[in-house]
Amino acid sequence: MSGGAGDSRQRSGPRVAVVLGSGSVKCAAALGLLKVLQREGIGIDMIVGCSGGSLYAALIALGHDAGTAEAMTRRLWTKELTKRRNNRSILSVFLPRVFGFDESFGMVNDALILDRLKEAFGASTFEEARIPLYLTATDFHTGDQVVFGSGRIVDAIRASIAIPYIFRPWPIDGRLLVDGFMSDPMPVGVAIRQGANIIVTMGFESPYQHKINSPLRFAFQLSSITSNNLLKSNFAFHNLAHHAEILPIIPEFKDSIHLFDTDKIPYVIEEGERAAERQVPYLRRLLSGV
Amino acid sequence: MLEAPRETSVSSRAPKLGVVIGSGSIKCASAIGLLRVLERERIPVDLLVGCSAGGIYASALALGWDLDALERKSCETWEGLFARLDYRSVLQGLLPGLFRSRGPVGLLDERRLKAALESLYGETAFADARVPLYIVATDLNTGDSVILSEGRLQDAVRASIAIPVLLRPVAINGRLLFDGGASDPLPVSVAIREGCDIILAMGFENPLHERVGSLMSLVSQTTCITINNLLKSTYSFYSAAHHAEIVPIIPTFDRHIGLRDSSLHPYIIERGEEAAAKQLPFLRRLLDPGVRLAGPPDPSDGN
Amino acid sequence: MEITTEQRGTVTVLSIVGSVDGMTASAMVVSFREQVSGGNVLLVVDFTGVDYTSSAGLRALLETVKETRQRGGDLRLAAVQPDVLRVLELSGFTHILKLFPDTESAVASFPA
Repeated sequence: MSGGAGDSRQRSGPRVAVVLGSGSVKCAAALGLLKVLQREGIGIDMIVGCSGGSLYAALIALGHDAGTAEAMTRRLWTKELTKRRNNRSILSVFLPRVFGFDESFGMVNDALILDRLKEAFGASTFEEARIPLYLTATDFHTGDQVVFGSGRIVDAIRASIAIPYIFRPWPIDGRLLVDGFMSDPMPVGVAIRQGANIIVTMGFESPYQHKINSPLRFAFQLSSITSNNLLKSNFAFHNLAHHAEILPIIPEFKDSIHLFDTDKIPYVIEEGERAAERQVPYLRRLLSGV
Repeated sequence: MLEAPRETSVSSRAPKLGVVIGSGSIKCASAIGLLRVLERERIPVDLLVGCSAGGIYASALALGWDLDALERKSCETWEGLFARLDYRSVLQGLLPGLFRSRGPVGLLDERRLKAALESLYGETAFADARVPLYIVATDLNTGDSVILSEGRLQDAVRASIAIPVLLRPVAINGRLLFDGGASDPLPVSVAIREGCDIILAMGFENPLHERVGSLMSLVSQTTCITINNLLKSTYSFYSAAHHAEIVPIIPTFDRHIGLRDSSLHPYIIERGEEAAAKQLPFLRRLLDPGVRLAGPPDPSDGN
Repeated sequence: MEITTEQRGTVTVLSIVGSVDGMTASAMVVSFREQVSGGNVLLVVDFTGVDYTSSAGLRALLETVKETRQRGGDLRLAAVQPDVLRVLELSGFTHILKLFPDTESAVASFPA
């Protein structure tokens, strides 16, 4: 049914799309995938990012190689990011009326992460990306997925990584945006809608709590349970709905990787490379038939 | 070129009809409207699945309860549920440092809910249901969907209805269970697995807050956003994976329905009846024994 | 259910009037397949006259979507009515397909 290299069919969609879903530091495994694709001479025609994946999707789309991207991540994503508390928000938990508890609640002061993002991405826009880039977030008032494909990349990333309770929601164009994982942790649908052919995915389940002994842990457990179920359900649907192949890259980590384990990034990238290599033979066969 | 409907093995037996009532707290009362339509039209149901508050109405049909009595009891249950908050839990939630939490909190008055469920079910068990009944909950530690089909109904419903923050999770057979909506808000999956051909699916999106003014409402909003997306996601998958027809019964409400709006109970039921009546013509066509159910044409379709 | 077909340049517009459900799906798929096997893989389906869709109907539509995409084309929807749109949203179709308010914009969305 698919023709060979001599097929003269007009292709209206991207041949190879990469979708990077949520997973914080584990998302660095995408750089391992990048290394493998570059080594094999396989071009990426479209890239989609959500939450932690948005950082890597943007870095890759802007043309950074794996080495530079790795160095940038290690500089950007450190424990210092959550050190500064947002005092007004925290006080508003106990005295909501006095300190004005509202949607802009976020326990961590986001000034540092904004600086770091601007350092990494400056004023780059989607239009400047070498590979068509899409980043997703969630509309806080409607719960709908919001897809960004234009404007400043920094804004879209800041919206996509607005982890509930941690970083305050981010306003763009009159909409209040939160982490993309609440509407779709691994936005394969965006690639399908653009008519992508082979879709290579990477996304991670959010970790479960060992002991649920505080309201905050309960809130995070709830968030993980619902978003992990959403991840699996969407993946199942997208598999049925897609006309061609979806290749999941599933790195295996022997150690547990926590939110700011940036010193584990080299290990994460290595495992990403290993997992990507496993899909290369089939990927090659698919591409020769496409 | 049109093909006339053909007799196949599916149409030579009566299609198996399942009814699934998903999560949606007080909006689930609109299922009473669906039940009234099914009773009036004498449509027999072969299997029932309930999730969260939907479990109350699914079990009502499975047990063959009188619908007027159900309507009264349902109204009383919702009215009483939010009448009093468990203040110690409220404080625990707000000042975790001061009030050492022994686990997940529950803001609503447990005793009233227990009394309501006791009054509804007593010792009634799944085995007492006239048709197979399944109630879906979620395991708090693994996030997995757990399907309950044995034991006392009041225990299963209490587990499935445990809306996070508002009600405490409960332990059943060594698993800590809570709101089924967190893993499968409209569990059509169970009906598909049990071989239902036609599935009536009634489920509701959680209302999102117009304003978020407290940590509790922020947690609730955040959770509801993901659960609403999960509802659509699972429904999409089941629709695409099922062999025959899933008929959604989606009541529309022209006003915001919040948890405390028990005075809107009659209105909610009315909207449910309207939504069910709207699907009736299509449902009747599906139940017609001469009709071949669904599916793309056979390869042998005259090509 | 009735389907009328109109060619607009390289794009084929199929207008459906009636219900897209399990019982009309066969006829719909036969009609769509005629287009696809004839090499018309840029399809716009005009939903102005569609008053009802069912899960089986949408599944059949999905089969055609996939067939057009496998051949390098696409199927896009135009003018979906509110009741039907609600079902499409619930069934995930609005995520995986492109929808347009009218056939003109849908036809224009294909590369010239």
